[in-house]
Amino acid sequence: MGCRSPHDVVREDTVVQSDDERAFCEKFAGRIHAYGLRHLRDGACAQDLVQHVLLAVLQALRAGSVEDLARVDAYVLGTCRNAVMDMRRGEARQRRVAQQSSAGLPESYEPSLPRVDRTRLEDCLRGLEARERAVVLATFLEDRDADEIGRTLNVSAGNVRVIRHRAIAHLLGCVEGEVS
Amino acid sequence: MTACSRPVALETLVAWWTGEIASDEAARVEEHLFACDACAAVSERFARLAAGLREHLPPIMSSAQRDRLLARGTRMRLTHVDAGVEASAFFGPDVDLLVHVLRADLFRAQRVDVEIVIPEWPQPLLCEAVPFDAEAGEILVCCQRHFEHMSPTDPVFRVHAVESGQRRRIGEYLVRHIWR
Repeated sequence: MGCRSPHDVVREDTVVQSDDERAFCEKFAGRIHAYGLRHLRDGACAQDLVQHVLLAVLQALRAGSVEDLARVDAYVLGTCRNAVMDMRRGEARQRRVAQQSSAGLPESYEPSLPRVDRTRLEDCLRGLEARERAVVLATFLEDRDADEIGRTLNVSAGNVRVIRHRAIAHLLGCVEGEVS
Repeated sequence: MTACSRPVALETLVAWWTGEIASDEAARVEEHLFACDACAAVSERFARLAAGLREHLPPIMSSAQRDRLLARGTRMRLTHVDAGVEASAFFGPDVDLLVHVLRADLFRAQRVDVEIVIPEWPQPLLCEAVPFDAEAGEILVCCQRHFEHMSPTDPVFRVHAVESGQRRRIGEYLVRHIWR
């Protein structure tokens, strides 16, 4: 990944230079995005979260208000948790905050949040067994849990988890080109 | 990147994503994902896949997904189709998506399976346990513009329902596609 540790990124005098800030952003943008997708279930909101959290943490670092620099990752996570709660309470307001916040990120920095190739994903899904495909789509598209899917397919929840795990492992390789 | 001595298993990552682990374990997983470069990289790969799946348009979609797409401004042309009666659908420049509404008596159906038969494909694509509206008696087939290049032949949709544990053949549906 080539990211520096928070110790390297945050200097002794807590003045974070632009390159260091960029390295910090590159290190954490993907983690915040993954967290946002998990908790907000929406790509646009997850992107807003990235902008908002990066700016909030950078401002705290610039102000020297992060007490334990060795645990800046925990600080980022805490900021994510608070921001998600705020976003759930008032999505529109938070979105405006996110739009404003990009102005405070390092110059010309745009979080790089790669997406899967949709056509390739379609091909990969077609390559799954019918049952694997049904489980994956019910899980991710319809937010159904293993118990519910198991009842529909007349299999146990444990079996659903096994099928789901196998399918996801296959898809991860397939969308990245390891498996055709 | 330093290897992780206690990596988060893919099963745990999936369970975290689907909300199938206890909140204290979920909190521990999140703390680890923010602190560990190696596990963060795996989590980010998985999040990309999950986000792609959430945005995926499956061959058969739920009425909830149709409503979400409509709310986002997706332009759809709905074509009502009865079993054994050929229908036609025009994919003009004014629409983003064709939705074929397969009509059937599904009032007692516990589950519906759809086989998509395309002569050029080695075998039909079986979609198990697809979403359906039992009261309205509708199954929504989602047709995207790039499907034009997948086959020169129009697909046939074979529908089966499971009622009281018995599999019943509902019928075959054919839609002639006119592409522009």
